Amino acid sequence: MREPNASWKLITLAAILPVLVLITINLSIGDGYHPESFKRFGNALLTSYVLMGVILLGNLFFYADSRHRPLAPLVGMLVAIGIGVLISWALVSNDDLLLEANSGLRAQMLSNIVHLLVSIAAMLLAALLAIGATFAMITGRGRRVLFEEEE
Amino acid sequence: MFINRDVAVRDMESILMAAIWFWIPLILVPIGAWLNLSGRSKKGGAALALICFGLVLISSWTVPSSDSTAAGHLLLSILAPSLLMAYGVHGMVFGGNVPVGKLDSSARWSGFLALVISLTIFCLMHWYTLTPLWRNNEVNPYWIVFWPTFLLFATSLCSASALALVGFGDDRLAEAIKLAGLSVVMAGIALSGMLFDGYLTTAEEFSDYIWLSAADIIGTVVGATLAIAAFAIVIWSYEKSLPPPMNSLPPTKDEIKHVVAIAKSHIGGEDE
Repeated sequence: MREPNASWKLITLAAILPVLVLITINLSIGDGYHPESFKRFGNALLTSYVLMGVILLGNLFFYADSRHRPLAPLVGMLVAIGIGVLISWALVSNDDLLLEANSGLRAQMLSNIVHLLVSIAAMLLAALLAIGATFAMITGRGRRVLFEEEE
Repeated sequence: MFINRDVAVRDMESILMAAIWFWIPLILVPIGAWLNLSGRSKKGGAALALICFGLVLISSWTVPSSDSTAAGHLLLSILAPSLLMAYGVHGMVFGGNVPVGKLDSSARWSGFLALVISLTIFCLMHWYTLTPLWRNNEVNPYWIVFWPTFLLFATSLCSASALALVGFGDDRLAEAIKLAGLSVVMAGIALSGMLFDGYLTTAEEFSDYIWLSAADIIGTVVGATLAIAAFAIVIWSYEKSLPPPMNSLPPTKDEIKHVVAIAKSHIGGEDE
């Protein structure tokens, strides 16, 4: 079997590099670093952590079915999500750390969820395009003859 | 005093309406999908998810006072080009050399055409009058979140796919170059957004949102990865705390006899 030429590190680099190039071009033609970027990064990180945690908590019910319904993992995951919610609450309500153009904590939290919904829709559509194009390339080539039949 | 009370009642009413017509349906969409996928209620789950998704899409009409419904309005605005893109991708994949579900070879070209048209519609939504408009004929605030995020993530994924194809595939350089070309096209569209004003958004605004989209993508990916890591730690620590399984007793003579009898009944065959 042929050894693969690419590693996961190289593929991750290939994924990050175009974004870095676009950001660099943006930096060179624009006004520079956008001051709200860190807030957006923090809000996106905490919101996706909490929502992904809730989805995984739902998955724990499948896991519990095969393990006589233990409570410990459920409590553990609830604590992990609770920590995320607490950090979000602390950082949003503390001065100007993560509060964007919203009136308060509740508005910021709801805005984060809606924002994540839109971002995930964009990412899913981009994934559909990229994965679909990859499979279209793979299936586009005709079947190769591996063995010639003997005459 | 009365005015304040009226304002409070009106606020409560608008919050309640937003909860009923937007937030509860939004929460019920994944629950319906989960019921469908887990097999607990296939039809009921699918119906629940579809009805609630429909309610989210029309929420800007059912609760126009809520700012959150701009997301529902955006999803409705991009639904048609997204479905066209999905149709195009399906045609391109299954019009090719696949062992099952093969479509007519013309599906590949019609799929490609559909994909190009859907991307063109998205571009027209930025540079022409198709821009999703929300209240007071202003651009939907989430459009400028969706568009750069889509372009950045598509550029990134196409680039990674191209490298994966040439790295893990066998003699796939030509296909990888085409994928890298798609990545360059997506990057080119993003670059055009930075240089040329859109119909209702300026190039400067778009440049700002490129920063925010990059922050969004990285934050979302890191957050989801952390949640998966927390989940893995929870499961691992629970499994580690379990006592090792007891060794089972050796089989009794009766059990061995029973097994031998079963084995004998399955060995051999009719004499020729």
